[in-house]
Amino acid sequence: MKMIRSAIVLTFAVVLLSAGAAKAADTETIFKFYCVQCHGAAGNGDGPNVSPDFPVTPRNFNKADEMGKLTDLDIKNVIKEGGPSVSKSPMMPPWGKTLTDGEIDGLIVKLRAFCKCTGPAAK
Amino acid sequence: MSASAGFADGAKVFADKGCGGCHYTDGPAKEKTIEDQLAKKGPELWYAGSKFKGEWLGAWLADPQPIRPMKYNSLTDKNAGDHPKLAAAEAGEVKDFLMGLVSKDVPAGVVTPKSNPQGKLIFIKKMPCSGCHKYQTGGKLVGGNTGPSLVDAGVRLNPDWILAYLANAQVFKPVKDMPNFDGILSKPDMEKVAAHVASFTAADAN
Repeated sequence: MKMIRSAIVLTFAVVLLSAGAAKAADTETIFKFYCVQCHGAAGNGDGPNVSPDFPVTPRNFNKADEMGKLTDLDIKNVIKEGGPSVSKSPMMPPWGKTLTDGEIDGLIVKLRAFCKCTGPAAK
Repeated sequence: MSASAGFADGAKVFADKGCGGCHYTDGPAKEKTIEDQLAKKGPELWYAGSKFKGEWLGAWLADPQPIRPMKYNSLTDKNAGDHPKLAAAEAGEVKDFLMGLVSKDVPAGVVTPKSNPQGKLIFIKKMPCSGCHKYQTGGKLVGGNTGPSLVDAGVRLNPDWILAYLANAQVFKPVKDMPNFDGILSKPDMEKVAAHVASFTAADAN
Protein backbone atom coordinates (compact mmCIF):
# COMPACT_ATOMS: atom_id res chain seq x y z
CA MET A 1 0.00 0.00 0.00
CA LYS A 2 2.75 2.35 1.05
CA MET A 3 4.64 1.44 -2.07
CA ILE A 4 1.65 2.13 -4.27
CA ARG A 5 1.16 5.51 -2.60
CA SER A 6 4.83 6.35 -3.17
CA ALA A 7 4.51 5.32 -6.77
CA ILE A 8 1.48 7.57 -7.22
CA VAL A 9 3.21 10.50 -5.55
CA LEU A 10 6.30 9.91 -7.65
CA THR A 11 4.26 9.77 -10.84
CA PHE A 12 2.60 13.07 -9.98
CA ALA A 13 5.98 14.61 -9.21
CA VAL A 14 7.39 13.45 -12.55
CA VAL A 15 4.39 14.80 -14.44
CA LEU A 16 4.61 18.16 -12.66
CA LEU A 17 8.33 18.38 -13.16
CA SER A 18 8.21 17.56 -16.84
CA ALA A 19 5.44 20.09 -17.42
CA GLY A 20 7.62 22.73 -15.77
CA ALA A 21 10.70 21.52 -17.59
CA ALA A 22 9.05 21.86 -20.99
CA LYS A 23 8.35 25.53 -20.32
CA ALA A 24 11.78 26.17 -18.83
CA ALA A 25 13.47 24.45 -21.75
CA ASP A 26 11.82 26.92 -24.05
CA THR A 27 13.35 29.92 -22.33
CA GLU A 28 16.59 27.96 -21.90
CA THR A 29 16.71 27.24 -25.63
CA ILE A 30 16.12 30.90 -26.48
CA PHE A 31 18.66 32.12 -23.93
CA LYS A 32 21.28 29.70 -25.23
CA PHE A 33 20.64 30.50 -28.88
CA TYR A 34 20.49 34.30 -28.74
CA CYS A 35 21.96 35.58 -25.47
CA VAL A 36 24.86 33.26 -24.59
CA GLN A 37 26.91 34.42 -27.58
CA CYS A 38 27.69 37.64 -25.68
CA HIS A 39 26.47 37.17 -22.11
CA GLY A 40 27.92 33.67 -21.62
CA ALA A 41 26.26 30.45 -20.49
CA ALA A 42 26.43 31.50 -16.84
CA GLY A 43 25.28 35.06 -17.61
CA ASN A 44 28.60 36.58 -16.57
CA GLY A 45 29.03 38.73 -19.69
CA ASP A 46 31.83 36.56 -21.05
CA GLY A 47 30.32 34.88 -24.13
CA PRO A 48 32.38 33.72 -27.12
CA ASN A 49 32.06 37.09 -28.88
CA VAL A 50 33.75 38.94 -26.05
CA SER A 51 37.41 39.35 -26.87
CA PRO A 52 39.81 41.96 -25.47
CA ASP A 53 38.87 44.31 -28.33
CA PHE A 54 35.12 44.05 -27.63
CA PRO A 55 34.03 47.69 -27.21
CA VAL A 56 31.96 47.09 -24.06
CA THR A 57 31.56 44.51 -21.34
CA PRO A 58 28.20 42.79 -21.81
CA ARG A 59 25.93 42.94 -18.76
CA ASN A 60 26.72 40.42 -16.03
CA PHE A 61 23.26 39.15 -15.05
CA ASN A 62 24.55 37.84 -11.73
CA LYS A 63 25.29 41.28 -10.33
CA ALA A 64 22.28 42.03 -8.17
CA ASP A 65 23.43 45.59 -7.43
CA GLU A 66 23.28 46.50 -11.16
CA MET A 67 20.35 44.31 -12.14
CA GLY A 68 18.38 45.57 -9.14
CA LYS A 69 18.39 49.07 -10.62
CA LEU A 70 16.47 47.87 -13.67
CA THR A 71 12.71 47.40 -13.67
CA ASP A 72 11.29 44.48 -15.63
CA LEU A 73 10.14 47.06 -18.15
CA ASP A 74 13.72 48.38 -18.49
CA ILE A 75 14.88 44.84 -19.23
CA LYS A 76 12.05 44.32 -21.70
CA ASN A 77 12.92 47.58 -23.46
CA VAL A 78 16.60 46.81 -23.72
CA ILE A 79 15.92 43.37 -25.17
CA LYS A 80 13.39 44.78 -27.65
CA GLU A 81 15.00 48.07 -28.62
CA GLY A 82 18.69 47.40 -27.95
CA GLY A 83 21.22 49.13 -25.66
CA PRO A 84 20.57 52.73 -26.72
CA SER A 85 16.99 52.53 -25.36
CA VAL A 86 18.45 52.57 -21.84
CA SER A 87 21.45 54.76 -22.70
CA LYS A 88 23.68 51.72 -23.09
CA SER A 89 25.82 50.42 -25.92
CA PRO A 90 24.36 49.55 -29.33
CA MET A 91 26.40 46.34 -29.06
CA MET A 92 23.28 45.06 -27.29
CA PRO A 93 21.12 44.28 -30.34
CA PRO A 94 17.43 45.12 -30.75
CA TRP A 95 15.62 41.77 -30.64
CA GLY A 96 12.10 43.17 -30.93
CA LYS A 97 11.63 41.95 -34.50
CA THR A 98 13.11 38.55 -33.66
CA LEU A 99 11.60 37.50 -30.32
CA THR A 100 7.96 37.57 -29.23
CA ASP A 101 6.79 39.43 -26.11
CA GLY A 102 6.13 36.07 -24.45
CA GLU A 103 9.65 34.88 -25.21
CA ILE A 104 11.08 38.12 -23.81
CA ASP A 105 8.98 37.75 -20.63
CA GLY A 106 10.50 34.30 -20.19
CA LEU A 107 13.98 35.77 -20.52
CA ILE A 108 13.20 38.39 -17.85
CA VAL A 109 12.31 35.58 -15.41
CA LYS A 110 15.57 33.84 -16.33
CA LEU A 111 17.59 37.04 -15.74
CA ARG A 112 15.93 37.58 -12.37
CA ALA A 113 16.90 34.03 -11.45
CA PHE A 114 20.54 34.87 -12.26
CA CYS A 115 20.63 38.01 -10.12
CA LYS A 116 18.25 36.66 -7.47
CA CYS A 117 16.88 40.16 -7.41
CA THR A 118 13.79 42.13 -8.30
CA GLY A 119 13.70 45.56 -9.85
CA PRO A 120 13.05 48.77 -7.94
CA ALA A 121 9.52 49.09 -6.57
CA ALA A 122 7.23 50.83 -9.04
CA LYS A 123 6.99 54.54 -8.27
CA MET B 1 31.14 22.10 -71.72
CA SER B 2 27.86 23.98 -71.30
CA ALA B 3 26.79 25.43 -67.98
CA SER B 4 23.91 22.96 -67.81
CA ALA B 5 26.31 20.04 -68.23
CA GLY B 6 28.43 21.55 -65.44
CA PHE B 7 25.30 21.86 -63.31
CA ALA B 8 24.33 18.22 -63.82
CA ASP B 9 27.90 16.94 -63.28
CA GLY B 10 28.20 19.12 -60.19
CA ALA B 11 24.91 17.82 -58.81
CA LYS B 12 26.26 14.29 -59.23
CA VAL B 13 29.56 15.08 -57.48
CA PHE B 14 27.61 16.82 -54.69
CA ALA B 15 25.51 13.67 -54.22
CA ASP B 16 28.38 11.19 -54.58
CA LYS B 17 30.58 13.03 -52.05
CA GLY B 18 27.75 13.10 -49.52
CA CYS B 19 27.67 16.91 -49.32
CA GLY B 20 23.93 16.61 -48.68
CA GLY B 21 24.75 15.11 -45.29
CA CYS B 22 25.46 18.64 -44.03
CA HIS B 23 23.93 20.96 -46.64
CA TYR B 24 20.48 20.94 -48.18
CA THR B 25 19.99 22.36 -51.68
CA ASP B 26 16.22 22.28 -52.18
CA GLY B 27 14.45 25.41 -51.03
CA PRO B 28 12.48 27.02 -49.61
CA ALA B 29 13.89 27.14 -46.07
CA LYS B 30 12.93 24.10 -44.01
CA GLU B 31 13.77 25.17 -40.47
CA LYS B 32 10.97 26.49 -38.28
CA THR B 33 12.38 26.16 -34.76
CA ILE B 34 15.69 26.67 -32.99
CA GLU B 35 15.89 22.87 -32.68
CA ASP B 36 15.54 22.57 -36.49
CA GLN B 37 18.40 25.02 -36.95
CA LEU B 38 20.64 23.32 -34.38
CA ALA B 39 20.07 19.95 -36.07
CA LYS B 40 21.79 21.25 -39.22
CA LYS B 41 25.48 20.41 -39.64
CA GLY B 42 26.20 23.11 -42.17
CA PRO B 43 24.62 26.07 -43.91
CA GLU B 44 21.75 25.64 -46.35
CA LEU B 45 22.80 26.07 -49.99
CA TRP B 46 19.51 26.29 -51.85
CA TYR B 47 20.19 29.95 -52.76
CA ALA B 48 23.97 29.62 -53.11
CA GLY B 49 23.94 31.00 -56.66
CA SER B 50 22.36 34.21 -55.40
CA LYS B 51 24.55 34.46 -52.30
CA PHE B 52 28.08 33.71 -53.46
CA LYS B 53 30.40 34.91 -56.16
CA GLY B 54 31.20 32.00 -58.49
CA GLU B 55 34.91 32.67 -58.77
CA TRP B 56 35.29 32.72 -54.99
CA LEU B 57 33.15 29.59 -54.56
CA GLY B 58 35.15 27.51 -57.06
CA ALA B 59 38.44 28.47 -55.41
CA TRP B 60 37.03 27.85 -51.93
CA LEU B 61 35.77 24.35 -52.75
CA ALA B 62 39.27 23.44 -53.95
CA ASP B 63 40.92 24.99 -50.90
CA PRO B 64 38.38 25.60 -48.12
CA GLN B 65 39.41 28.09 -45.44
CA PRO B 66 37.25 28.76 -42.37
CA ILE B 67 34.60 31.46 -42.88
CA ARG B 68 33.29 31.27 -39.33
CA PRO B 69 35.65 31.51 -36.35
CA MET B 70 33.37 29.05 -34.49
CA LYS B 71 32.17 25.64 -35.59
CA TYR B 72 28.75 25.84 -37.27
CA ASN B 73 25.98 26.06 -34.65
CA SER B 74 28.47 25.94 -31.76
CA LEU B 75 29.15 28.55 -29.09
CA THR B 76 31.99 26.58 -27.54
CA ASP B 77 34.04 24.93 -30.29
CA LYS B 78 36.38 26.69 -32.66
CA ASN B 79 36.03 26.01 -36.38
CA ALA B 80 38.42 23.12 -37.00
CA GLY B 81 38.89 24.14 -40.64
CA ASP B 82 38.28 20.54 -41.70
CA HIS B 83 35.79 21.08 -44.53
CA PRO B 84 36.37 18.43 -47.25
CA LYS B 85 38.42 19.59 -50.23
CA LEU B 86 37.55 18.89 -53.86
CA ALA B 87 39.94 18.31 -56.75
CA ALA B 88 40.05 21.26 -59.16
CA ALA B 89 37.78 19.73 -61.83
CA GLU B 90 35.18 18.62 -59.29
CA ALA B 91 35.32 21.97 -57.51
CA GLY B 92 34.48 23.63 -60.82
CA GLU B 93 31.54 21.30 -61.42
CA VAL B 94 30.12 21.68 -57.91
CA LYS B 95 30.55 25.45 -58.26
CA ASP B 96 28.49 25.33 -61.50
CA PHE B 97 25.81 23.32 -59.70
CA LEU B 98 25.65 25.61 -56.67
CA MET B 99 25.76 28.80 -58.72
CA GLY B 100 22.72 27.47 -60.58
CA LEU B 101 20.70 27.48 -57.35
CA VAL B 102 19.24 30.97 -57.39
CA SER B 103 16.52 32.70 -55.41
CA LYS B 104 13.85 34.93 -56.91
CA ASP B 105 14.06 36.97 -53.70
CA VAL B 106 17.40 38.57 -54.56
CA PRO B 107 16.72 41.51 -56.89
CA ALA B 108 19.78 42.02 -59.08
CA GLY B 109 21.74 45.20 -59.74
CA VAL B 110 20.60 47.11 -56.66
CA VAL B 111 23.80 47.38 -54.61
CA THR B 112 27.05 48.88 -55.84
CA PRO B 113 29.92 48.00 -53.50
CA LYS B 114 31.30 51.22 -52.03
CA SER B 115 32.82 52.05 -48.70
CA ASN B 116 30.70 54.88 -47.32
CA PRO B 117 30.71 56.80 -44.04
CA GLN B 118 27.02 56.24 -43.24
CA GLY B 119 27.26 52.48 -43.83
CA LYS B 120 30.44 52.34 -41.79
CA LEU B 121 28.85 54.23 -38.90
CA ILE B 122 25.88 51.87 -38.82
CA PHE B 123 28.10 48.79 -39.10
CA ILE B 124 30.56 49.79 -36.40
CA LYS B 125 28.69 52.14 -34.06
CA LYS B 126 24.93 52.39 -34.45
CA MET B 127 24.16 48.70 -34.84
CA PRO B 128 25.71 45.62 -33.22
CA CYS B 129 27.07 44.05 -36.46
CA SER B 130 30.68 44.00 -35.27
CA GLY B 131 29.62 42.26 -32.06
CA CYS B 132 29.38 38.98 -33.96
CA HIS B 133 31.20 39.58 -37.28
CA LYS B 134 34.91 40.00 -37.86
CA TYR B 135 36.10 42.81 -40.11
CA GLN B 136 39.32 44.71 -40.68
CA THR B 137 40.04 48.24 -39.63
CA GLY B 138 43.38 49.93 -40.04
CA GLY B 139 44.86 46.55 -40.97
CA LYS B 140 43.71 45.12 -37.64
CA LEU B 141 41.27 42.21 -37.33
CA VAL B 142 38.42 43.03 -34.93
CA GLY B 143 34.85 41.96 -34.18
CA GLY B 144 33.05 38.99 -32.68
CA ASN B 145 33.18 35.28 -33.37
CA THR B 146 29.71 33.81 -33.59
CA GLY B 147 28.80 35.05 -37.06
CA PRO B 148 30.59 34.42 -40.33
CA SER B 149 33.63 36.64 -40.83
CA LEU B 150 33.00 39.59 -43.13
CA VAL B 151 36.69 40.34 -43.68
CA ASP B 152 36.44 39.33 -47.35
CA ALA B 153 32.67 39.78 -47.74
CA GLY B 154 33.15 41.72 -50.97
CA VAL B 155 35.09 38.86 -52.52
CA ARG B 156 32.75 36.14 -51.25
CA LEU B 157 29.23 37.55 -51.37
CA ASN B 158 26.90 38.93 -54.00
CA PRO B 159 26.28 42.55 -52.88
CA ASP B 160 22.59 42.25 -53.80
CA TRP B 161 22.28 39.20 -51.56
CA ILE B 162 23.70 41.13 -48.58
CA LEU B 163 20.87 43.64 -48.98
CA ALA B 164 18.21 40.99 -49.61
CA TYR B 165 19.35 39.14 -46.50
CA LEU B 166 19.22 42.28 -44.34
CA ALA B 167 15.82 43.25 -45.72
CA ASN B 168 14.20 39.84 -45.91
CA ALA B 169 16.13 37.43 -43.69
CA GLN B 170 13.09 35.22 -43.06
CA VAL B 171 13.24 33.91 -46.61
CA PHE B 172 16.83 32.73 -46.30
CA LYS B 173 17.27 31.98 -42.60
CA PRO B 174 14.01 31.83 -40.68
CA VAL B 175 15.91 30.84 -37.51
CA LYS B 176 19.22 32.53 -36.81
CA ASP B 177 21.07 34.11 -33.91
CA MET B 178 21.30 37.44 -35.74
CA PRO B 179 18.53 39.97 -35.14
CA ASN B 180 15.96 40.71 -37.81
CA PHE B 181 16.64 44.26 -38.95
CA ASP B 182 13.53 44.59 -41.10
CA GLY B 183 11.56 47.34 -39.34
CA ILE B 184 14.63 48.48 -37.40
CA LEU B 185 16.90 49.74 -40.18
CA SER B 186 15.37 51.75 -43.02
CA LYS B 187 15.78 50.45 -46.56
CA PRO B 188 18.18 53.28 -47.51
CA ASP B 189 20.26 52.51 -44.40
CA MET B 190 20.30 48.82 -45.31
CA GLU B 191 21.50 49.73 -48.79
CA LYS B 192 24.33 51.80 -47.31
CA VAL B 193 25.39 48.97 -44.97
CA ALA B 194 25.21 46.43 -47.81
CA ALA B 195 27.29 48.68 -50.11
CA HIS B 196 29.82 49.18 -47.31
CA VAL B 197 30.12 45.49 -46.37
CA ALA B 198 30.28 44.54 -50.06
CA SER B 199 33.38 46.74 -50.33
CA PHE B 200 35.33 44.61 -47.80
CA THR B 201 38.25 42.72 -49.22
CA ALA B 202 40.70 40.79 -47.09
CA ALA B 203 43.51 43.02 -48.34
CA ASP B 204 42.18 46.41 -47.40
CA ALA B 205 41.71 48.42 -44.25
CA ASN B 206 37.89 48.69 -44.53
